Amino acid sequence: MDNIAGHKSGLTWAVHLSVAFLVILWLFPTMGLFVSSFRTADQISSSGWWKALFPTEQNIVIRGASPSEQVQVDGMYVIEGSVFDSRASGDIAHWGTSSREIDAYKPGEVVEMRDGSTITLNEDGTYRMENAAEFEGSRGQRIFFTATTPPEFTLDNYEFMLFDERNSEGMSKAFFSTLTVTIPATVIPILIAAFAAYALAWMEFPGRAILIACVVGLLVVPLQLALIPLLKFHNNIGIGKGYLGVWLAHTGFGLPLAIYLLRNYMVGLPRDIIENAKVDGATDFQIFVKIILPLSFPALASFAIFQFLWTWNDLLVAMVFLIDSSGQTTVMTKQIVEMLGTRGGDWEILATAAFISMAVPIAVFFAMQRYLVRGLLAGSVK
Amino acid sequence: MKFHLLASVAGLALVAGAANAELKFPVGEGPFSWDSYTAWAESAPDLSGQTVTVSGPWLNPEDGFFRDVLAYFEEATGAKAVYTGSDGFEQQIVIDAEAGSAPNIAVFPQPGLAAVLAAKGQMTPLGDDMRQWVADNYAAGQSWVDLGTYPDQNGDPQFYGFFYNVNLKSLVWYSPDNFDDAGYELPGTMEELKALTEQIAADGEVPWCIGLGSGAATGWPATDWVEDMMLRTQPPEVYDQWVSNEMPFNDERVIEAIEEYGWFARNDAFVSGGSGAVSSTDFRDSPKGLFTSPPQCYLHRQASFATAFFPEDVVPGEDADFFYLPGFAEKDLGNPVLGGGTVLAITDPTPGAEALMEFLTLPIASEVFMNQSGFLAPHKGVNLDAYRDEILRKQGEILLDATTFRFDGSDLMPAAVGAGTFWTGMVDYTGGKDAKAVADDIQRSWDALK
Repeated sequence: MDNIAGHKSGLTWAVHLSVAFLVILWLFPTMGLFVSSFRTADQISSSGWWKALFPTEQNIVIRGASPSEQVQVDGMYVIEGSVFDSRASGDIAHWGTSSREIDAYKPGEVVEMRDGSTITLNEDGTYRMENAAEFEGSRGQRIFFTATTPPEFTLDNYEFMLFDERNSEGMSKAFFSTLTVTIPATVIPILIAAFAAYALAWMEFPGRAILIACVVGLLVVPLQLALIPLLKFHNNIGIGKGYLGVWLAHTGFGLPLAIYLLRNYMVGLPRDIIENAKVDGATDFQIFVKIILPLSFPALASFAIFQFLWTWNDLLVAMVFLIDSSGQTTVMTKQIVEMLGTRGGDWEILATAAFISMAVPIAVFFAMQRYLVRGLLAGSVK
Repeated sequence: MKFHLLASVAGLALVAGAANAELKFPVGEGPFSWDSYTAWAESAPDLSGQTVTVSGPWLNPEDGFFRDVLAYFEEATGAKAVYTGSDGFEQQIVIDAEAGSAPNIAVFPQPGLAAVLAAKGQMTPLGDDMRQWVADNYAAGQSWVDLGTYPDQNGDPQFYGFFYNVNLKSLVWYSPDNFDDAGYELPGTMEELKALTEQIAADGEVPWCIGLGSGAATGWPATDWVEDMMLRTQPPEVYDQWVSNEMPFNDERVIEAIEEYGWFARNDAFVSGGSGAVSSTDFRDSPKGLFTSPPQCYLHRQASFATAFFPEDVVPGEDADFFYLPGFAEKDLGNPVLGGGTVLAITDPTPGAEALMEFLTLPIASEVFMNQSGFLAPHKGVNLDAYRDEILRKQGEILLDATTFRFDGSDLMPAAVGAGTFWTGMVDYTGGKDAKAVADDIQRSWDALK
């Protein structure tokens, strides 16, 4: 009675829970990256992103206005301002004027300084310094205060990457350049692999099994092995570094997986259709174009997604085969790495760049994702 | 059709990218040495239509500053000079040189890497004139000549590269305001520095911020510490023997230097977060502790480029200052200068490349860079007024007054040691391993290379 179709098993809940758990596990770092992309460098290094979402009590030090801004009121020299001029306001709990006693005074308390001047910080963040003599020096008095401040986010990182004139030109150039690399590097291997997969799946010729074994074997060869020999070869035959070279390299590195995936799919197509076509007098080319290709669309699409994502995110192959010292060729990944700075400490840029460069692959993925699962499962589940 | 369209879009993008470079500072204005530039420009070869390519490790924002320098070369010769930066420069230059697609000029962050390429015959010697020029015009000139001289593929020593963009190690950064608040005095000797460290700890505060984290290069800040301690406990000749491994790494004297570093880093009361946090703190984050409220620490030893990692509102020279890591009064070893830097060398000779190398020896080539960034020039001919701020000027003076200059030792050691076991060994040592055991391990890895 328990196994009647339509009856929900108790395990469904376990499945749902574990799926939810996995999704959260996978999304967690992405969330952190996303939150970080809206924070400044100083915020990132001083507190974790999970603290950015809630009001926090922070110890803050700022400099008051410099002595050059003092005004004379009733014979006293006065400097006024607000500690919240350059940051979001909050509630001040206590304050101080020395790094040794940052919580010495209550808001509103008037304090006498060493040089005879007085200073006070009010609850709303305004401060007032008074002195009978002129204030000297070039830097303002340091004010330490503890305040509970609401979450603070900024769009500056995105603005810096997309609209700052130092970057926007390079970024748009890199964007088109990446497309120039990615689209042919996705189309060419699919074309070649589709032909090869058909031949390996449906044409009878001696040594077919060994060829298939070789293709599978190539899957485990790391591409790093081929970098220098292949670049040398490109230089020798006159291709050098450039788009043609990077297309060929991506094609070569992508082919084993493409052929393997497509062949497995095509082998699973019903034999009857193909034999019927043969009996009716169709040539192999006709069978391939009119029957196999339309039927293999899910597999083609799923490989296209793979190859597109891989070439879009690739830095290594582009560095070796495309980017030369002329500075005329670049890709998004390279542009982003450059923005990280000479010593690579600009995390806020990294987080922002990750989301900007993710936009296109995500669009491609959602446009084609319904084919992905179908194409991957085809051949394994019959 | 689709392909055609794409190719033309890419073409358009490329044309748009090749905008005309403008001169950052108008000729004749500002604290720059224009005379030598205009004199050179008049006799400079006409290189119209030629392109000179330069590759190096500088990225944003230094790459922009270097392009500003190149603009003056373009103006003088009509050539096009292109700089490309890469964060994986060390790997890329090896691949490119090996495959025959190297840039005209390479900017090496480590002399050791340049020596490797020289030994394979992939670089072009600069000749005796240039060697003489460096010896005459750089402070502690012979030290710089030696650092740019490597054996070629036949084993004959040749002069290959000169240094451009130098940084000064062994600076101790502090916040003058925090020192005022606490009433601390700047130490003049290592003994005083140790006394100050103990005093700060006794006051219930934390004296030092030390961070060794640096991704795959974690540990290098500690190698700088040990090199500094080496130069302060032993004469420079011993330092040279250590770097070339004539003296084994597990020598008593090296272990003593490692333990001097341990005196600071392995005492929980002396470092922010305790000694356990030293290895895991990123070196880029560690200086920020000087400026927090309340301060997490009072002292931070880092090279001249530390200012790049200060919080944005910190003004170097006002909110932050440095003193030179002092020597032991009892040792009387003077004030040796430890530094690092990038070396320029020709990897694909053309007339344009040679002209550019010549241009880069002019004071103006250093001045335009140092006016915008933490760039220090060992060139005696540069106008010190061109330094961006007082702090850099003070550092520039230290560099020019140097009688002995020693290069960052870990950059001179073979990569497997200087960028490998020395780094990891220092992480182990900081984590509590015995200094002798660490030194033994490093020496064993060096022996394995021989």
